Amino acid sequence: MSALDVSSHKAQATIGRRGIILRVAFVILAVGLAVVAWPVVHAMPQFGSHPLPYGDRVNAIGPAERHITNMVSAINFDIRGIDTLGEEFMLLCAVTGGTVLLRGGRGEDRAASPGHVKGRANHRPPDSLRLLCRVLAPLTMLFGLYLAINAMLTPGGGFQGGVVIASALLLIYLAEGYAGWRDALGSEFFDAIEGLGAALYALCGFVSMGLGLPYLAAFLPFGTLKNTFSGGSMLIVNLGVTLAVAGGFATLLIEFMEETRTLKPGDDPDE
Amino acid sequence: MSDVFSLLPWIGAVWLFGIGLYGIVSSRHFVHLTGCLAAIQSSSYLVLLGIGYRYGAVAPIFYDKRPGTQAVDPVVQALVLTDVVIGATVSALLLALVLQLHKRNGIVDPQAMRPMGKSAVPTAGGGRQPNGHTA
Amino acid sequence: MNAAFADPAAWPICIVAGLLMLAGLLLAGAKIVPPVLSDILALAATAAAGVLAAVLAIRIGDHPALYWMGGWTPRQGQAIGIAFLADRAGAGAAAFAGLMFTGAIWFARGYFAGARNHFHVLMLLFLASQCGFFFAHDLFDMFVWFEMMSVAGFALTGYALRSSSLDGALNFTIINTIGAYLILMGIALAYAHANALDFSAVRAVAQGRPDDPVLIAAFVLITTGFLTKAAQVPFHFWLPDAHAVAPSPVSAIFSGIMVSIGLFGVARMAWDVFAPCPAVRHLAHVGLISIGCGSAIAGAVMALMQRHVKRLLAFSTISHVGIALIGVGLLGQQGLGGSLLYLAGHGLIKAMLFMIAGIMLSTLGGIDEIGLRGAGRRIWPAGIVMGACALVLAGIPVGPLDAGARMMDAQARSNGLHWLALVIGFAGALTGGAVLRVTGRVFFNLGPMTGEEDAAPTDDEREHANRPFAAQLVPVLTLLGVWVLLASMFARSSERFALAAAHDMALGADFSSRRALPHMTPILPWLPALVAVAIASVDLNRHRIPDVVYDRLMGLTRPGLHMLQVIHDSVIGEYVLWMMAGLLLLAGIAIF
Repeated sequence: MSALDVSSHKAQATIGRRGIILRVAFVILAVGLAVVAWPVVHAMPQFGSHPLPYGDRVNAIGPAERHITNMVSAINFDIRGIDTLGEEFMLLCAVTGGTVLLRGGRGEDRAASPGHVKGRANHRPPDSLRLLCRVLAPLTMLFGLYLAINAMLTPGGGFQGGVVIASALLLIYLAEGYAGWRDALGSEFFDAIEGLGAALYALCGFVSMGLGLPYLAAFLPFGTLKNTFSGGSMLIVNLGVTLAVAGGFATLLIEFMEETRTLKPGDDPDE
Repeated sequence: MSDVFSLLPWIGAVWLFGIGLYGIVSSRHFVHLTGCLAAIQSSSYLVLLGIGYRYGAVAPIFYDKRPGTQAVDPVVQALVLTDVVIGATVSALLLALVLQLHKRNGIVDPQAMRPMGKSAVPTAGGGRQPNGHTA
Repeated sequence: MNAAFADPAAWPICIVAGLLMLAGLLLAGAKIVPPVLSDILALAATAAAGVLAAVLAIRIGDHPALYWMGGWTPRQGQAIGIAFLADRAGAGAAAFAGLMFTGAIWFARGYFAGARNHFHVLMLLFLASQCGFFFAHDLFDMFVWFEMMSVAGFALTGYALRSSSLDGALNFTIINTIGAYLILMGIALAYAHANALDFSAVRAVAQGRPDDPVLIAAFVLITTGFLTKAAQVPFHFWLPDAHAVAPSPVSAIFSGIMVSIGLFGVARMAWDVFAPCPAVRHLAHVGLISIGCGSAIAGAVMALMQRHVKRLLAFSTISHVGIALIGVGLLGQQGLGGSLLYLAGHGLIKAMLFMIAGIMLSTLGGIDEIGLRGAGRRIWPAGIVMGACALVLAGIPVGPLDAGARMMDAQARSNGLHWLALVIGFAGALTGGAVLRVTGRVFFNLGPMTGEEDAAPTDDEREHANRPFAAQLVPVLTLLGVWVLLASMFARSSERFALAAAHDMALGADFSSRRALPHMTPILPWLPALVAVAIASVDLNRHRIPDVVYDRLMGLTRPGLHMLQVIHDSVIGEYVLWMMAGLLLLAGIAIF
């Protein structure tokens, strides 16, 4: 065990003394850093009134050359699309890593019955809650879809939409309880959605190259301004992001819930 | 020279970073510590969005505005969006680690941890016998 | 072939996106793809990425090329998109990363059998993000890849789910995440100053106002973040905790390439993006050299005091990366080139050593030097390789590690820093001596009496014993083969390549001496190795030393050593305080 015996008074007193020293040292160092930060704060550009040539250029390009009205999406899915590619796979990386860490002891298989933590009540959810959640869950999912689909026009996009869609799953959990929830959802399904969505993003770039263009260059007609399906191949990229984010967050939810199971005897790698 | 109000966003960012660090230094619970990391991170949101702000400008969404209207910088907003994802991924991993740690030994106090667990019991003179080391 | 793929400038994104896409598909098909196929696909992909990067490094030659994603070439001189830079520095580093990952995945076959193919997914993402980092030519894009690499590392560290590995992973995650936010803050400041993120664009603006405090603060913050990843004193505390507990194939990657990435980032920032600032030049020279020296010495001393073999190797990594950091700060092409070559040589050796540590874990069932005394006699071939690696670490005059050290030394001499050879020799002697001591004790049953290493933290640990010894030794011998090639056939060309890569990397720097400096052998070339052997012999023969002499000897060194031990045996809060102190130190050097 990599821990002190924290229950003892002696250990607590040691930690307390140490804490005071830590705080004093922190204050001294923080004052020092604040002193050196002050000239930097003063030299920062004038808030609210300094030139922003990069942003202005993007604001000019978006409507004129890509026929879309949401400039943040223009940056995320096209102009600086590689950042978003990295971001999607970072999420995939974290979800895969989280899955590996959370599954650890229990390995690949899921228990036949949902886990139960000792001392935690396992009531059936009240009917009012179930009704409310059953009404809200589809609405939430719909709202997530709306956010994702209108990425090119209004605030929103695949990431925001995907998170909202995944959070609708939480409402299903509230309504059906954990047992019903885990019967309805399979982690393999969400793994597949997530992996395919992210791969779709990377593939979209290769399609551009196959057509003789630079990686991730637009290859579809841009449509008309203020139309939901404007933006050309950004729509495909956005779809990939939506799938990856929804699948990724759903996987995380499932794995964290599943982790409420207690360890079987003999599972503990420390033993 | 700028008036003090135009310095406020940057002072606020430094302050957020500072209290986040203070929280980590003095933390007694890993979940609390994860929250402190989020406080540090929000200081970077503040700086980024502060840099992109422009008095009297609209949001960079031209659905109900004529394209060409003076708007704030969309680049920093996109950067913040990526930043949010980074925060989410790191928090998820940290919480997963903390959950497992809690399950192993029931301790989630950063100040009660020591590297590699216990120090070895000092052995006098001859050292341990070969193969005396069983897991 | 399609023209879009034929252009070598497009290969970097093909490498990165190809690896990413494979990772996504492997995850999607986790249920269908059999484990053997995952192994083959991952190995083929990492090897292909390495080979493609190597070919690129040769093809691109003297003409580094920018590749603008999505065709967003600069408009009227203003960069709007993101570019990947295909140059010898990035491509060479990516090729080396490909080699490291191929070796590590090969070595890990069977280890991660329980995790479906999640291990392969993580490793592919790990490699892809490193390649992305090497090729990125945009501050924020570089940060995205950097952070993705960190996330992969965090997850892999905690894989074993033991208390110590969770603890190590938490330290690693928290300290490196603070470092990442410092980098992000620095990037935000650079954006505030330049309103651009492209390397060349930021450099162009910096040329106009080189003394802006915002710009200098940006450099200080970004450098602090990268030095945290590079585990340099006083940002290094997470490394021994994390490297010691990660699965050994992952530790091989960590020490072989991940730590070096921090240095790569520092060098790119100092000699390309922020190079026009005089303050940066001063900071890079004074700050990096002093931090590098501190790391080289502290890491070496701490390494000698360890008994947990992976922890010992981790401290030696800090020491050797510290030496490479000195090379980055030497204000010269020869110094930077030497640093790159040194890192490559160190990466190869350290990957082999961590693999041998992994062999100990799986075949001997432990990693504690004292507990395993004599247990390694039946796997003596591993012991011979380990002893050879120890001598190379100590600095015998052969191979890329030594060539890099000599290049750095030549540069230091031309700058008047004649003492650098002593630091290199000291670090080599102590780390080499420590590894030799382990070799002697574990594989040759020497050293019945323990010393200061006795009080060091250790852990009962083992790894799956489902892999035959011979199969584990083959990847080690393969890396050894690569090392031999670099030391013999390609010795001259690897030096030339390192110099060229340094030239590509230091685009903005006005390094005064471009002429090749004469190679000098500073002190007797075999001396550090001899001292290493002497240290190991003393440590292994303590029972033969008269008590009077021994007590006198220990009495001299004990207080200092004890303090170092205490500093390293501490909690996250203290690690953060050390980080703040280091940040303050760098800021102070920048101001004065």
